[in-house]
Amino acid sequence: MFRRLYLLYGVLVLGSVTFAEYRGWSLDSMNQLKNVPKSVRDNPGSYRSVYSSYHHYTGGK
Amino acid sequence: MTRPVSNCPNCGAKVMFQWSSSVQTVCEYCKSILVRTDIDLKKVGQVADLPPDTSPIQLNTEGIFRDRSFVVIGRILYQYDQGGWNEWHLMMNDGKSAWLSDAQEEYTVSSLACGPNLPSAAQLQVGQQFKWNGDLYSLSVITKAHYRGVQGELPFQYWDKSDVTFADFRTPSRKFATLDYSDADPVLYLGEFVEFEDLKLKNLRQFEGWS
Amino acid sequence: MSVGQPPLQLPPKPAVKALNCPKCGASITLRALGQAVAVVCTSCHSILDAKDPHLQIIQTFERITSTDAPLIPLGTRGKIRGTDYDVIGFQRRSIKVEGIRYAWHEYVLFNPYKGFRYLTEYQGHWNDVAICKEQPIVDTRFRISLEANYLGEEYKHFQTADATTDFVLGEFPWEVRVGEQATLTDYVHPPRVLSREKTSAEITWSIGEYLPGKDIWSTFHLAGDPPEAIGIYENQPCPVSANIKTLWMTFVGFAVVLCVLMIAFEVHAKREPVFHTSYQMNPGMPAGEASFVTEPFELTGRTSSVEISTSAAVQNNWIYLNYALINQDTGEAWDFGREVSFYSGYDSDGSWSEGAQSDSVVVPSVPAGHYYLRIEPEVDRNHPRIVYTVEVKRDVPVLGFYGIGFLALLIPPILLTWRSLSFERARWAESDHPPSAILKTESD
Repeated sequence: MFRRLYLLYGVLVLGSVTFAEYRGWSLDSMNQLKNVPKSVRDNPGSYRSVYSSYHHYTGGK
Repeated sequence: MTRPVSNCPNCGAKVMFQWSSSVQTVCEYCKSILVRTDIDLKKVGQVADLPPDTSPIQLNTEGIFRDRSFVVIGRILYQYDQGGWNEWHLMMNDGKSAWLSDAQEEYTVSSLACGPNLPSAAQLQVGQQFKWNGDLYSLSVITKAHYRGVQGELPFQYWDKSDVTFADFRTPSRKFATLDYSDADPVLYLGEFVEFEDLKLKNLRQFEGWS
Repeated sequence: MSVGQPPLQLPPKPAVKALNCPKCGASITLRALGQAVAVVCTSCHSILDAKDPHLQIIQTFERITSTDAPLIPLGTRGKIRGTDYDVIGFQRRSIKVEGIRYAWHEYVLFNPYKGFRYLTEYQGHWNDVAICKEQPIVDTRFRISLEANYLGEEYKHFQTADATTDFVLGEFPWEVRVGEQATLTDYVHPPRVLSREKTSAEITWSIGEYLPGKDIWSTFHLAGDPPEAIGIYENQPCPVSANIKTLWMTFVGFAVVLCVLMIAFEVHAKREPVFHTSYQMNPGMPAGEASFVTEPFELTGRTSSVEISTSAAVQNNWIYLNYALINQDTGEAWDFGREVSFYSGYDSDGSWSEGAQSDSVVVPSVPAGHYYLRIEPEVDRNHPRIVYTVEVKRDVPVLGFYGIGFLALLIPPILLTWRSLSFERARWAESDHPPSAILKTESD
């Protein structure tokens, strides 16, 4: 009984590892954002790292 | 004993007590409460009862031992201080004699054998070991018993009522031996333990309540 | 020549009297059979005289037998190993170990064809016992052998003690009496136990197999629940141990697969360099003004990882970079900060160093597309300018997951092995050979 459970568990673990490696997961901490405006390319200074942590306009430069 | 059966004093119906020392029961038919007056209450909790000496084997029971068929032609009933056992005399299909012992439904089949240097009754001690026919036998129990009754055909004509010593031997396999001190010289019987199913017994005694 | 007919095989008929109502002669109902017995006639409601000798028989009997009532009532029938047996006898025996008396119960089972079997019960642990037909093999050099071999199995000595019979009910194949003594020696090979019983007259060996209480309750159709099993019994099978070996073998199999996976991904990972440029950061530039974007580069293939490495020849200095990897077309971005710092020197213990001159980070699951980096460096304004290099590689394996996977696979076999070991310690703690106290347990 334990053996069957462990087999299932092991297959899940190995499956997860395979999936993680295939999809290129990472262990590093990261912030992901959507919709960074194209204007950043022209004005890199306008993009603030803090934009990743709160999503309201702070105003100004 | 076991399930004592009697008759209801009020209506005469058969009543059964649940176990050997059971002191009361209820009559199924008239619902009277029935009390046993023959139980020694001082013994209750102190001494066990002995179950009845009932062997399922009877004369003319047939069976098979080691691919040889046999029929039961005789019986000796032994009694000792702790109860009794049956020695059933078998006629094997080759004409030879053998003995089927039934001691509390523990069965052995043995035959007369020759053994050198058999000990005298006085020399016996539990735990002693002897080698017969290449097997090592250990003395497991010494019993002093006497005849209680006989039935059918037996290979001897005379016996008396005095106590006789029997020594039982066991081995790491199912082999079994007995030394019988009925006569002046000990007689050796070699045999083995057998399971009830393996004897494939037919024409057994019927017990009420058991298939 | 004396000829004897064997006496009547049927047992003697019991002498029976009926309890009738003294007034109307009707049958009586017995209520609450216990210490107080109320006997009422349902017809005329008169009460039977408590001094009635037949009532006295019932009451005395109840008093004696209720002190230790068998859990399986005598006369009950049940199936053991496919054969029906009646419970016909019951006894309580006890041993004294280090001044403490331990009592257990034995039940005699009877089948008119198959003979006798026994059930033992101790603190909720049950065993199905039969007398051995084959003689176990022991080491005869010792009075009490430490090992016994029975039917090819090795049994280990568990306990030797002197047992006394304390209470007896019903029938036994021999006339048991209260006060009877025997020396009991138990050898175990879970789930079986080999018992040697020595009295002055004989030595008897019996073989027992552990039975869960619920099996007893179901086969004898008993009401309620079996008593809870307390502690670990000498031959109680460990629920886990049979599996331990196969579990570890399975683990090894999984570990091999994990290695193969690792090698496969290592070999197949593209590690494609898509960007490599060096920059210079001058101190004194306020944050924000130093931010810039790189030339765009293309990330190809399936959605996979992106490794961004920063290297800088810092000496007792640091550079902090706020990175953002931005998809030119979708506006998706990954935002993170990395530090490259390196310090070294001498002290009383010799030379030391802290940090490194390079850093790398893996951005997860980046879809294919056109990307650029937005970089905002920060430096200590008091230090000279720093030159740093940024490198981007596509499809890089992350070894950390193999480590996590390995540990995850290791946990169940370790947990179960630990459970099995502590189970066995608990088992042998009750024996004549308790394990030495290597670890302090909660009971200490």
